[in-house]
Formats: sequence, structure tokens, C-alpha cells
Amino acid sequence: MQRRLPSLALLLALLAGWEAVVRLAGISALVIPAPSAVFAVLWSGLVTPGFLWQHIWVTGAETLLGFALGCSIGFVCGLVLGEVEPLRRLLWPYVLATQVVPKLALGPIFIIWFGFGMTSTVVITALICFFPLLENTMTGLQAATPEKRDLFRMLGARQWQTLLRLKIPSGLPVIMAGVRIAIVLALVGAVVGEFIGGSEGLGASIIAAQGMMDSTLMFALFIAIAAMGLLFYQLTLIIERWLLRGWLKGTIT
Amino acid sequence: MSTDTAFFSVDRVSHAYEDGAAVLRAIDWSIPAGAFHCLVGRSGCGKTTLLKLVAGLVQATEGGVRIEGQAIQGPSPKVGFVFQTPALLEWLSVIDNVLLPISLHRRVQVADRGTAAELLELVGIADLAKRHPGQLSGGQQSRAALARALVTSPPALLMDEPFAALDAITREELQDDLLRLVALRRTTVLFVTHDIAEAVYLGDRVAVMDQGKIALTASIDLAKPRVCDCRYDPHFTAHCQKIRSAMTLHTVELD
Repeated sequence: MQRRLPSLALLLALLAGWEAVVRLAGISALVIPAPSAVFAVLWSGLVTPGFLWQHIWVTGAETLLGFALGCSIGFVCGLVLGEVEPLRRLLWPYVLATQVVPKLALGPIFIIWFGFGMTSTVVITALICFFPLLENTMTGLQAATPEKRDLFRMLGARQWQTLLRLKIPSGLPVIMAGVRIAIVLALVGAVVGEFIGGSEGLGASIIAAQGMMDSTLMFALFIAIAAMGLLFYQLTLIIERWLLRGWLKGTIT
Repeated sequence: MSTDTAFFSVDRVSHAYEDGAAVLRAIDWSIPAGAFHCLVGRSGCGKTTLLKLVAGLVQATEGGVRIEGQAIQGPSPKVGFVFQTPALLEWLSVIDNVLLPISLHRRVQVADRGTAAELLELVGIADLAKRHPGQLSGGQQSRAALARALVTSPPALLMDEPFAALDAITREELQDDLLRLVALRRTTVLFVTHDIAEAVYLGDRVAVMDQGKIALTASIDLAKPRVCDCRYDPHFTAHCQKIRSAMTLHTVELD
């Protein structure tokens, strides 16, 4: 806490400066709203009458659903491609090609396929989360040293045992790095997905606020989204620490 | 030497890389049960390849290896392998690492934990059983790797320069511990090293490998059990010199 005090002080100083500049220079709220006004909107959104919760819930659900779906499919595909050499050789060029397609650009076609609303957004989010997991899982599976592979061969381990007890644990730090990238992208995916095809959620609310020229509400929504991103990221870190607890023990002496 | 009593028999084994470059040329060798054989040679002379062939990790291009008279098809459960690096699994505790050869094949029982604990006692790291590999020194990791190789009580051990990365004093301690352990269990050992003194100190018999061939084999008739002092014995030095000269007979052609 002691170490964080200067950062906190800086934040307060910046907010105070911002408030002062906006008030003294008489900048329109449409361009840059004063922090006090933003917090007032945030207060009414979160406490009374609390109209933001419904949107937070929708965006949170889309983010987590898409994240879970994309990560699991990406992980399983990474395992398959990592383990089956001929399949990897066959599919890798396509994987690379689809990597560079901007996934968000696919949004409009998903709306045609899945309609407006949650499904399209979840699919976009899942697609965005899929690639970091696919790539990091494939890379992670190569992390075990040749000696350890030889050790497992010497011990008569079957392929699935080598996968479960050597390759996946060896690659876990790399795989978890992919999960951390995915959770950040998932929120981006959900919010931008709502820009394109949402009627509810924080992203859809930003578009609605834009329509009403309500910059103050937009800033309040930014803060809500940022807080949600931080929360998800911290949760991922906790899960990562728990999964890697055996690894971490080795580094603390 | 009759091959009937041999634990390992290597019969005219040749091995070549995929590009056709020969690594091993018609190696014949037999290791009697309970013997401790050392293989010395410079880096790249093919000694590790020979060890992996005996382990069943690499397939010979020509010839074959037999264990107790039976041609090997792949890695045998009768053989434990100790690698150049300890190759411990970082996410498991030391005791779980030692139990790995058992836990891969069946449920670990209380008796197995007892065996593992005993082995850790024998290699001198009983108090580190709950630690993780990252918390151990290099020497302690090598000890854990040795315990892991011995936990299933294999009749034979193959060792690939297991102590090469350790400091001189730790290496000597581990050499003594190894000799004590394998004498206790009458384990057959093939030990690969580039250190002549180590080979002479450990081995009943030392072979020198050079350019894919056995250039010399020598019986080491020093008294057993060997103690540290024998390293300074003129007899010991004489053995080292003889082996040293065999390693320089052929000069490496540079191209």
C-alpha cells in the first residue's frame, strides 16, 4: 500500500487539474466533461437508479462466454495441431492466413448469420480469443526439453501421458500468457461486437450515448469498461498463480 | 568374454546420421551383470549416441543390442537412465519427481513412498523431499535425478555425463555416493564421461571412443571400494595417462 500511495496521489492531482482546466477554460461538456460530472453519472448508473448494471451484466457475460468458448476451442485445437505433425503441416498456412484477418471485420457477416444481440458478440469474442490460445498452446507444447522427452520414453510413458504429464505442464507458463492476452482481447471483442450489432451492453451504450451526444455518459462507460477489464485481468492472474503454484515454488527460495 | 553372462551385449553396431555421415562404426562390446563400465571420449565422438542406442532411444543402422540375451526393441524397464542435466519436472516436489517412474504406470502406494524416502536418505537429501527442483542446488538436483533412476530398482543404469556440470568437490561426493549405491544393489552401469580421471575412478573397465570406434579398452585394477586417496596413487595416474594417450592417437581431420 505504501508503494502505491504516490500513484494514487498522482491520480488525484491529475483529476483535480483536469477539473480545474475544464472549469476555468469553460470547455464544453460535449468535448471534455469535468470529472465531477462523469462521477455523478457513474454514481447514478451504479447506485441510484443503477441503470448501468444491466449493461455491465450483458457485456460481462458476453466477454466471459466468448472467452471460455474461444480459449477452450483454441486450447484443444492447439493440442491437436501440436501433437499431430501431418495435420499441423496441412493446416498451418491456413491458421497463419486467418490470423491476419481482422476478426472484428467479420462482425457484419456474423450479424447476418446469428442475428443482432448476444450470440454474434459471443462468437466474435470467441474468435478473437481462439488464436492466442491456439498459438501459445502449440508453442507451449514444444517447451519440454529433449532430455525430458527422452526421460518419458525411457520410463515407457504413452503419448497421452507424455502430453498430460510433461508437455502441458511444461508449456503452462506459455499457455497462461496466451490466456492473459485473450482476456484483454475478449473485452475489446465484446465491446466492439456490441458497437456493430448490440442493443444492450456497455459497447451498445457507448453508441447510444454517441447518438445523444452525451460525452459525459461515454466517459462514465469508459471507466466502467476499464474497471471491468482490470477485474478480469486480476482474476486471470490469480488463476494463473494458482495453476503455476508448483512452478513458482521453485523461484522463491 | 562369453555373451551368456553379459547384461548388455552390443553386436557390431553401426550408426549413421540421415545424411549418411557415420557416427558409430561396428562397435562390439559386452558388459557383464554387476560391472561398472565407463566410456570416455571427446565431444562429438559418438559416445552419447552409443549410450542412447543401448538405451533403445535410438535405432542402430546396423547391428543390434541385447539385454540379457534378448534383442531390444525400444526402451527397457530394466534400465534406468541419468541424463546430462537432472531433467527434473519443475512443477513437482522432489519426492514426486523421484516417484515419477512409478506414478506413470500405477497408483503410488505407501510402500513406494517409503522406498523413495529411503533413496532420498541414501543420496543424502531426505530433508529436501517436499522442496521443488528450483529450490535445490545443482548437486542436490543431480542427487534427486539419481534417486529417480533407482526408484524402480532397475538392474542396470545408463549415465550420460551426469556430473559434468558440477563443481569438483560436489562431483567427487556424488561419485562416491554412486559407487556405494550401485555396489549395494549390484547394478550394472554404463557411464559416459569426457573426464578421464572420473572414468578411471568409477570404472572396472574403461573404453575410449574415438571417431566412432573403440580405440582402447582397459581394465582398472585399483582396489575397491575406492576412496578419495586413490586419485593420487601413481597407479591411478598411470591408468589416466594410458587412456589420455589413446585419445590423441588419431588427430581430428579438419576440413
